[in-house]
Amino acid sequence: MSRSQPAAGQAGAVPAPRRRASLRPWRRAIVGGAIVATIMLVAIFAPLLAPYDPNEQDLLNQLLPPVWAGGNWDHPLGTDNLGRDTLSRLIYGSRVAMIVAVAAASGALVLGTALAIVAGYFGGIVDWIVSRLVELWLCFPPVVLSLILIVGFGVGLRNVILAIILVDWTRFCRVVRAEVLVVRRNDYIDAARLAGFSHWRTIRREVLPAVAPLILTILSLEMGIAVIVEAILSFVGMSVESTIPAWGVMIADARKDMYQAVWGLVLPILAIIVTVLGFNLLGDGLRRALDPKLRQRVIQ
Amino acid sequence: MSGGVLGVALRRIGVSLPLVFLVSVLVFVVLRLIPADPVAMSVPPNATRAEIEALRAEMGLTLPIHEQFWIWFAKAAGADFGKSIAFAQPVSRLIGQALPATIELVVVAAVFATIIGLAGGLLMYRVAGGRGEAASDLASTLIMSIPEFLWAIFFILLFGVALNILPFTGRLDAGITVGRITGFLLVDTLIQGRFGAFLNALSHLLLPSMSLALGTAPLLMRVLRSSLMEVGNEDYMMMARLRGFSERRVLVHHAFKNAFLPTLNLMGVQFSFLFGGTLLVEVIYSYPGLGSLMVQAVANTDLPVIQGVALVYAVAVLLINLGVDLAALMLNPKLRIAK
Repeated sequence: MSRSQPAAGQAGAVPAPRRRASLRPWRRAIVGGAIVATIMLVAIFAPLLAPYDPNEQDLLNQLLPPVWAGGNWDHPLGTDNLGRDTLSRLIYGSRVAMIVAVAAASGALVLGTALAIVAGYFGGIVDWIVSRLVELWLCFPPVVLSLILIVGFGVGLRNVILAIILVDWTRFCRVVRAEVLVVRRNDYIDAARLAGFSHWRTIRREVLPAVAPLILTILSLEMGIAVIVEAILSFVGMSVESTIPAWGVMIADARKDMYQAVWGLVLPILAIIVTVLGFNLLGDGLRRALDPKLRQRVIQ
Repeated sequence: MSGGVLGVALRRIGVSLPLVFLVSVLVFVVLRLIPADPVAMSVPPNATRAEIEALRAEMGLTLPIHEQFWIWFAKAAGADFGKSIAFAQPVSRLIGQALPATIELVVVAAVFATIIGLAGGLLMYRVAGGRGEAASDLASTLIMSIPEFLWAIFFILLFGVALNILPFTGRLDAGITVGRITGFLLVDTLIQGRFGAFLNALSHLLLPSMSLALGTAPLLMRVLRSSLMEVGNEDYMMMARLRGFSERRVLVHHAFKNAFLPTLNLMGVQFSFLFGGTLLVEVIYSYPGLGSLMVQAVANTDLPVIQGVALVYAVAVLLINLGVDLAALMLNPKLRIAK
């Protein structure tokens, strides 16, 4: 059996009815979407779900372990070094993560895609400038550039979002530009122009829909990246104000007490990993489901 | 033939130099947005207004911004980045102390990442089509969702705190000192013939470099697997099989050789991310490299240090990309003709 088409052999061995086969490529995206949706809901309804105020200190109950490690049900996931309820802080921490994920990734999408389409569609000097700009940005490791930007802008949620947008627009720009260059060569683009479509209308009606699946995939992956970058920045104390609970801050705080209270460190780490996994599954699943070449392999 | 490689190398360096200039402009401009006043941090609280103004003039902060930039840039070109505000030492000396540590970490991590990435990619390709495919897919997605700084903390908890078998702070155990020759501990200890210290330095590198490698390797695995699948369709693969070569030989000698190039191209990007990843990993392991220096400088708003380190990072990324491009050029004769 040829190694080159592994899915072919697999599907051949288990002949599935066509209807079920058409859902299969979506499975991964659905699992990822479910994880993301759950965390979104937790973030939105945080005040209803959290048993305590995330900043409420209880100095008599510091560093309590979670309930399965000898703690009590008053604080199911234990408390931190100031006696703040870990569960409540995790729940409220999802707000920062989700706001940054949605706002920063969408911002990077708009900036990166706009530049990519302008560059790829018009070519020439515009393309040259945008490409050199991307090259310039890629000289920096992303973490270093976002740190420099935060030093320049100052801390705070809005500045963190702005910094991530200004660092990560290149992810969209590079990939979408390459795709636009391919789309641009299609006859239907020329046909649209010949039919009297303006450039703007051609872009909106013909180019954008063609690159939309790709954009959607990168958007989902970028949301995961934004969550990580925010965690990194808040870990080094360069993200949101100290009164706002964030997962990165929880990790930085718990690191000091890792010998006495390991769960305070493990739980926010797990929260980040599950969130990023959700976004990655969603993005990866979308790529598989929306990319016709890959889909064929699965359905064959 | 090698002339072609050299020509491309020179051209690439020619493109990189303006980029370095633009990078320094970018860094300089962004850091001038700062609301904090660098002078306020270097004077005692009871300084008079006149004293502050005098210091401001002495630091050149009264000049227009473009003049400030040119002064800084002219000096930076000669590796003089000014004096650290927090450490009261020349920035170039601070960087000189930290850079070898970071390079050592990056090189060891890159070796691990390459081994894990290539072995993992071959493994994923072998299990493709079988029952293992879904599992290997899911595993690589899961690993890819864990950034290097979380691996770093996880490894400290597991190997440092719980099992207590590997060190997780600094470059050497307290009490061991190694005379500085190159600054690369692995090299210096060997030159001086101190194998105990060599092993000690290596054990300190193990956890941070593995954290970095695991943050980098999964993408290499995936790209290697998909390019292996692509070359799997080529005629020469069929020919090799028809000639009766073993599956292992076909895989290593025919598929891998051809599938490696896309992976190599990705390595350039990945290794520059790896360089950025050292930032937090160094902080977590109290490893005295560029990343620790940068984070300290950020905490102190120590502008000369931030500017200098940022520039060093950018130059390092450019050099890594240049190196990878040249490697690709030497491995793939097609590229030489095309350009």
